[in-house]
Amino acid sequence: MPQVRIIAKNFMDMVASMPAMKLDRLYENTFICEAILRSLPPLAKKYVLQMLYIDQPVAAKLMEEWVLQDGLSKHKVALDRLVHLRVFQETVDRKRETSYRLNPKFQANLQQHVTLGGILPREPMSFSISVKLPSLDELQAYALQQWECFLLQLISSGQSDKPTNISPSMMKLFQRGLLTQRDREAPKLTESGFRFLLMDTNAQLWYIIRDYINNAEERGLDPADLISFLLELSFHVPGEAYDMNTLDDIQLATIKDLADLGLVKLQQGRKESWFIPTKLATNLSISLTDTSSRKEGFVVVETNFRMYAYSTSKLHCEMLRLFSRIEYQLPNLIVAAITKESLYNAFENGISSDQIVAFLQQNAHPRVADRVPSVPENVTDQIRLWESDMNRVEMTHSVLYDEFPSRELFESACDFAREWNGLLYEDSKAMRLVVKIEIHDQMKEYVRRQR
Amino acid sequence: MGHGDKGRPSKKHKSSSKDVQKSVMMEDDEAAYYVEGFDDDHRDDDRGEGKKRDFSNLELKPDHVNRPLWACADGRIFLETFSPLYKQAYDFLIAIAEPVCRPESMHEYNLTPHSLYAAVSVGLETETIISVLNKLSKTKLPIEMIEFIRASTANYGKVKLVLKKNRYFVESPFPEVLKKMLRDEVIAKARLTNECLGEDGFSISKGLHELESGHNGLLDEAELAAAEEKESHSFEIDPAKVENVKERCLPANLNYPMLEEYDFRNDTVNPDLDMELKPHAQPRPYQEKSLSKMFGNGRARSGIIVLPCGAGKSLVGVSAAARIKKSCLCLATNAVSVDQWAFQFKLWSTIRDEQICRFTSDSKERFRGNAGVVVTTYNMVAFGGKRSEESEKIIEEIRNREWGLLLMDEVHVVPAHMFRKVISITKSHCKLGLTATLVREDERITDLNFLIGPKLYEANWLDLVKGGFIANVQCAEVWCPMTKEFFAEYLKKENSKKKQALYVMNPNKFRACEFLIRFHEQQRGDKIIVFADNLFALTEYAMKLRKPMIYGATSHAERTQILEAFKTKRDVNTIFLSKVGDNSIDIPEANVIIQISSHAGSRRQEAQRLGRILRAKGKHQDRMAGGKEEYNAFFYSLVSTDTQEMYYSTKRQQFLIDQGYSFKVITSLPPPDSGADLSFHRLDEQLQLLNKVLVAGDDAVGLEQLDEDADDIALHKARRFSGSMSAMSGANGMVYMEYNAGRGKFGHGHAKSKPKDPTKRHQLFKKRFG
Repeated sequence: MPQVRIIAKNFMDMVASMPAMKLDRLYENTFICEAILRSLPPLAKKYVLQMLYIDQPVAAKLMEEWVLQDGLSKHKVALDRLVHLRVFQETVDRKRETSYRLNPKFQANLQQHVTLGGILPREPMSFSISVKLPSLDELQAYALQQWECFLLQLISSGQSDKPTNISPSMMKLFQRGLLTQRDREAPKLTESGFRFLLMDTNAQLWYIIRDYINNAEERGLDPADLISFLLELSFHVPGEAYDMNTLDDIQLATIKDLADLGLVKLQQGRKESWFIPTKLATNLSISLTDTSSRKEGFVVVETNFRMYAYSTSKLHCEMLRLFSRIEYQLPNLIVAAITKESLYNAFENGISSDQIVAFLQQNAHPRVADRVPSVPENVTDQIRLWESDMNRVEMTHSVLYDEFPSRELFESACDFAREWNGLLYEDSKAMRLVVKIEIHDQMKEYVRRQR
Repeated sequence: MGHGDKGRPSKKHKSSSKDVQKSVMMEDDEAAYYVEGFDDDHRDDDRGEGKKRDFSNLELKPDHVNRPLWACADGRIFLETFSPLYKQAYDFLIAIAEPVCRPESMHEYNLTPHSLYAAVSVGLETETIISVLNKLSKTKLPIEMIEFIRASTANYGKVKLVLKKNRYFVESPFPEVLKKMLRDEVIAKARLTNECLGEDGFSISKGLHELESGHNGLLDEAELAAAEEKESHSFEIDPAKVENVKERCLPANLNYPMLEEYDFRNDTVNPDLDMELKPHAQPRPYQEKSLSKMFGNGRARSGIIVLPCGAGKSLVGVSAAARIKKSCLCLATNAVSVDQWAFQFKLWSTIRDEQICRFTSDSKERFRGNAGVVVTTYNMVAFGGKRSEESEKIIEEIRNREWGLLLMDEVHVVPAHMFRKVISITKSHCKLGLTATLVREDERITDLNFLIGPKLYEANWLDLVKGGFIANVQCAEVWCPMTKEFFAEYLKKENSKKKQALYVMNPNKFRACEFLIRFHEQQRGDKIIVFADNLFALTEYAMKLRKPMIYGATSHAERTQILEAFKTKRDVNTIFLSKVGDNSIDIPEANVIIQISSHAGSRRQEAQRLGRILRAKGKHQDRMAGGKEEYNAFFYSLVSTDTQEMYYSTKRQQFLIDQGYSFKVITSLPPPDSGADLSFHRLDEQLQLLNKVLVAGDDAVGLEQLDEDADDIALHKARRFSGSMSAMSGANGMVYMEYNAGRGKFGHGHAKSKPKDPTKRHQLFKKRFG
């Protein structure tokens, strides 16, 4: 059994967490096999290729000799991963010797792939000259805009200009965990919601897709089908058009949702309709840990608590609004002020000062990013101080006792509470005392007995 | 864009005169900043933020990256300081708009009727303003802003009042404006009609070239257009009725506020004063720039120059006097600063000793020859009561003389009615006001613009720090938690009058103060000023720590002596000052300020106090421990947490924060592992102190208001008891010498000052001398 529990941080983790049955079914799909191979750590990749044409189990001991002593830990990780993904099948013989072999389906598919070369899941459509497809840049812009629009709707339901196709119930689903809604109040972002907004696009996308897959069953879909379709999609060429008629019913329903997220762009010709995958879709199967492309920062914070954000994005505006007061919106600049009130608002919503400071630092405009510190010290200090100010008062559930019939009873009650370590306050003049709620039962009992 | 965008500026257009006044009057405690007052009503009814202030549909120019600013329809302007055009843009904006805040990367400005008045009066024209602004802007200029500029400047700067060969002329390039003015009865009556008339009935002369050199590059073209020769029409008015004419022209009436210019080169009536700047007096670039604004067209303009304390305001004043070379009347706020001004004149210029004289209660000098410089205080001139025979003579001389330059120091502390009085008494061709902070918490700055003139120049604090012209100050707010016992008393209702005393005397604050004094005296060898507004606290602290102190009742001689000791003696490194030290006392040696109590939320006081240590101290490198340090001056403000002080402190810092200063919060002083050797370490000592505060009379420890008065009353007392007859009658004016210039009811204030409380006075003196 694997020794490390894998948390689904990306698509492949998610695949790995599927039950064995489903996994075996997934491996019927060539693209999944390829995607899995791509996602493996380098050593594991090597093992898979090494064993690709071996049809018998290889003893674990033998494999151990493939690596030098200091590579043993990597070897272990690779094996764990392979076993976990059921790419390797483990067998233990009578002598208790472990040996491994490749999953036959996986092996067959991969062999085929190697010999026949990669084939695309479906052929792009060929058009007459009259149809103009969007350029890659346009497509990228479209995808990001679509994604931003979705996020806007996600964090402030109803504020987006364009209503999306995504059903309200599904939106609610996505919002679960990101937003809290007390009755009648407008929904508020939770701490994890804020953290979600601070992630880069790929990570956010993954977060949403994970929810989307996890809830597939509620919509009567098999998660495995969904996964295989999404992985398949990631092997399409971005910018090319693919015929919608090649999709089955489940895929047709899914692709509309994906269009809302910006994964594909749907277009309609006179007779046929087609979809064009965007970069967001093709990035899905890439392991997220190696997305090194950091977005350029855009925020300048001044010592007078004013914040200037070089951005045209409505989403940025909404994000800043979470902890500051927006004062001016200019064509390419947002002017905001960080105030005590705005921060208290943020703290109440569960956003912590560290998150805000981290956000400001990570997104510092290149103009100030080299400055040390990139966010003025007095501002970060003050944000933290205001937070610690909020936490000065500690709430303890407690019970007030008063109207004691006699001073003796009052005093013995005090003693009793003290013994139980639950006395919070006593006013001997007015004969009142406050005790922790934990000892309320004992206290009640004690007072009754004394009477 | 909502209709609000259009609604606001058009409201202004309808009656800009009303708005001009309103925007000044707005300046109360609530208005965050005087120039912002304009904007505040807007902000208040704008709770649904982001609607009216959403200017995101302004059209960006394709090359917007290269342009430095954004302009909004409501008058707000944002300037990137890292733009290559920053310097030009800054010079331009400071001339046409009021700075709201100027931190490191992004400045904010507001266009106001006032700022545009100032712009017009230094020679910028409406169309120049619009076209340059348009060139600098990243977006197309909002139509509202263009309309606002046109409407505000329609009347300003059209009319000038020129004193030529001792005759007053009303001058304008627009004959139709003059005609309109003459329809006014008062002005028509004041007109003298014995001259040869031009076509329109006005005499016509060729205008002078504008000699501005401040802007270059981008602005050249526009500048040239403004400097084109123009015909100017004028008519002469009766010198006796000048004041009336001026008043008719104020925005409340005709709304053609007159610019005053003095053609001093052609003034043959008034005798020249032989004074030059000494060669070593090298004005710095910003001083040069401020002077060039004043002498832009070869004449001297009246107006106000705003420079931070320590940036060399006096050199600007002396240079102006040396350029005009006529008799000069220099007004300061108190006797100490009179001495300092006289010293500055001698330091920077070649003026001979007999040409300069001081006129205070203590020294009544008169200059010899027919031209000279007189340095005195506002109170000496404005004083309405009886004077000694000697002062009467001097005052008479001041009254009768025609002054070339009226130099006014610290104009922000003097209320308008005092100015009216001073200005009506003294006849001057040109008025120059100097100040560091053009903010007040009350509306007393009203009319400064029209009484003296527009703001000619305002320096950027951060730029001066970067240029090394003023010290780089580390500001810190030290949070001192109230001790349990003090806080319990603070919260009690019956102690409402003692609240201030309680949070100022908070033992933790005392310990923090003592710690800081020790640290800076012993570790760094610094010179320290401790400020306390609360007189009770001042005496307590000073006595306990055995340091000299100066407050209202300290005599001039004693003050000079203490200041001298502070400057020269090695063992006197700390002095305690009451609010008398806020202004104009020049203590260049000091580089640390510890503020233990202050006047509520006064932003001006905070800035003025910081100004005490702003003078750059390059020569004192040897005194510094590590030579070149990032910070060479320190400003500590001690506040007791959870008290009113926290609220005030935030308010007070606003002005400095807007100038780009930042306050670092220090939460634990003295450090937890030390402090056992400081005072009030033990609880019983603290309780003793608490008791002392509680038993003291309410008025001795009381509210700010009272102790301010106490300052003044104590002063009366000290003088009266000195026993001289003239002092009793108030004849020699010395009584009023230190009378806080900011007090409103000066004229008759002394006659019916608050009932004096002998016990209080007694106590003060016992403490002081006992």
